[in-house]
Amino acid sequence: MQRRPVVHKKQSRDIFLFILGGVVLFFLSGMVDELRVYQGATIAIYVIAISSIILLTGYSGQVSLGHGALMAVGAYAAAVTRIEFKLPIILCFVVAVLLAAIGGALLGAAAARLSGPYLAGTTLALAIGLPSLANQFTVLGGEQGLLFDVGFPPLSLGEEFTQYKWFFWIAGLAALISMWIIKNILGSRYGRTWRAIRGNEVAAQLSGINIARSKILAFTISAGIAGLAGALLSMTIGTVSPSAFPLALSFSLLAGAVLSGLTTLGGAMIGAVVLVAIPEIADVVAHRVGSSERVTTNLPGFLVSALLILTVLFVPNGPVEQHRARKAKHLALKK
Amino acid sequence: MKAMNRRKLIKVSAVLAAVSLAVTAVPAQAAVGVSSREIKLGMTLPMTGTASLGYNKIPGAAKAYFDYLNKNGGINGRKVKLIVKDDRYVPTEAVAKTNELILKDKVMALLAPLGTANVKAVAASVNPARRGVPVLFINTGFSGFAEKKKYPTTYTVLPSYVMEAKIMGEYIKDNFAGKKIGLLYQDDDFGTDALAGFKTAGVNFAVKVAYASGSQGAAAAAGWITKFKAAEADVVILFGVSSATSAMLGVAAQLKYAPQWMLGSVGGDATTIKLTGVPAGVLYNAIGFSPVPATTDMKDEYVKFFSDIYAKAVPGSTFDLNVLLGMNTAFMTAQALQAAGRNPTRKSLMAAIDSKGASFANSALVPAGYSKTSHVGLTGYWVGKYSPTGDLSPIGGTYVTYTTDSGSGAVVKSTYVRPAMPAKGLPN
Repeated sequence: MQRRPVVHKKQSRDIFLFILGGVVLFFLSGMVDELRVYQGATIAIYVIAISSIILLTGYSGQVSLGHGALMAVGAYAAAVTRIEFKLPIILCFVVAVLLAAIGGALLGAAAARLSGPYLAGTTLALAIGLPSLANQFTVLGGEQGLLFDVGFPPLSLGEEFTQYKWFFWIAGLAALISMWIIKNILGSRYGRTWRAIRGNEVAAQLSGINIARSKILAFTISAGIAGLAGALLSMTIGTVSPSAFPLALSFSLLAGAVLSGLTTLGGAMIGAVVLVAIPEIADVVAHRVGSSERVTTNLPGFLVSALLILTVLFVPNGPVEQHRARKAKHLALKK
Repeated sequence: MKAMNRRKLIKVSAVLAAVSLAVTAVPAQAAVGVSSREIKLGMTLPMTGTASLGYNKIPGAAKAYFDYLNKNGGINGRKVKLIVKDDRYVPTEAVAKTNELILKDKVMALLAPLGTANVKAVAASVNPARRGVPVLFINTGFSGFAEKKKYPTTYTVLPSYVMEAKIMGEYIKDNFAGKKIGLLYQDDDFGTDALAGFKTAGVNFAVKVAYASGSQGAAAAAGWITKFKAAEADVVILFGVSSATSAMLGVAAQLKYAPQWMLGSVGGDATTIKLTGVPAGVLYNAIGFSPVPATTDMKDEYVKFFSDIYAKAVPGSTFDLNVLLGMNTAFMTAQALQAAGRNPTRKSLMAAIDSKGASFANSALVPAGYSKTSHVGLTGYWVGKYSPTGDLSPIGGTYVTYTTDSGSGAVVKSTYVRPAMPAKGLPN
């Protein structure tokens, strides 16, 4: 009985912080140039995608190398809904989430029987195979893909309001809402169940947790969120095509999740910013040094890999978790 | 605790705001991408990854010509600077990199972006048309990009897949009447274009085999061959990408399957095919098509000129079709910039191509279709055969060129006479 008010206080603080975050983003979008707004939208989308991996891998302990494929499911679902049924854009995103979640549930049902490298292998196969399925159905537009047009921003926002700012608002809002939902799910009974399974499956089972059901649920929710990220990603590029969801996307998202810290949702921002910023930093470095084209084109990959190795070596749980641990240690010492 | 968090947050947002203001405080230029000393152009294409094979030579080739141009005075004293970004053949990357080129690097025009899906995504998201940014000489033969209404600032250069299929059809009618024809094609816009062209040309196929992009490989090729064998095809047309052509020819060599091959230009670059380990001999006597002269034809003034420059700029690299096309594109761009007036702008650049583009000197042996109403580039091919060493050269030693359109127009033998190369290969 005594804990209740604390929870309420914490929740209202969270809501306050999320709203404040939204307000900051809102004003920020008016101050920066179009390129930064576009990159901001991409960061918001990566935040969503990475947090879906953090939920699945960091909390429920299941590895997925195929999140790119689930994003593709969401993207195609949204585009087909938009083109065939001309639904409002918000409903297209809802359809994207639902269909990707269904895909995730099916995958989860198979995944619940697998673990470790077998699960990684299955999801990897999905990442390779699924996007090219689009070539088999004309309604999906083949290799060239489909146009996915979310429409111009409402005129009431003014003539100067750019398309990318509109994308940023949509993606930013989606990121805030989905982060808030994920945070609450992770703090709920389900989140605790997943952590119990990740810690020790046998012990969790002995405590009465239905392992298979919990794992499938984690996969379903994670896939739904990934589907939303996929739909948003194709919104920013205006098209959906198999080549937009290459294997490299799944890998870089996983890399982003590791950089963020797999067990800390709050770190998702770090991975997302790194994924967007690294190519640009590499560009600047390469031009300062005045190196050859070969160096310039391979530098981003090298930097991400180097960061990944350094993270695993020195902050295996991610910078945020590390910082928290150090702070806790510091506090304990003080006492 | 709460107060401290909020204070931190305010500090962070203040810093972010300051940084962003500093970033946006760059003064605007009179003509975007053009300063008194420099003209900036941007290019995105796959420099790394599986799709980069062969194509990653294009920027080096274009830069080789621009460097030569810059050393010889540039365009009215301005040097041409080409900024190249790697899109890994992924539309998301192509959009991100194109945004950087337009919004950060502030290039005057985009040059030779590659791949139909990428060009489509860039058109939908970045929308160069709305921004008034010219997209010059795109590296895809999809006929849809010539639609001026839909892509008002985009200029094609490669002849469309429809044109190629129509010219192939004409050649088949003249040379293989009564033979059984087989077709391998990619099951997307690339293939749809081809089918439309063959239909217009009135080619009846004994067998048509479609493959999904990405599915091509040795195992798939063995399956294709079974189908062609079952239909007893005398002539087999490979209208696919290089990896499909290579897989097919490689497996055919092993199985000793040797019909009369006919290769589409997209997958017909001998250097790229040979790089995958296909023996050059398999290509012998195959029929091929190209809009520009044979890359080994050193009697051709353009080929000689380009290959000399390239050998100096990128020593040790083979002068192949990708290089020739890359340099040719740079060569045409230089003329467009020169024709755009003393102080070129995006508008005057496009106006220059509209009014004079059809007469720009370039290595192609077929006419270009640029006009006020059309952004169609080259409009035809010459037909050749591959030598025992795998080089494509004209049948009978002279280039016989055909020209047509992407619609229902007839295929005609071209009487086009290419403009002589301007003095020293510089625009005048």
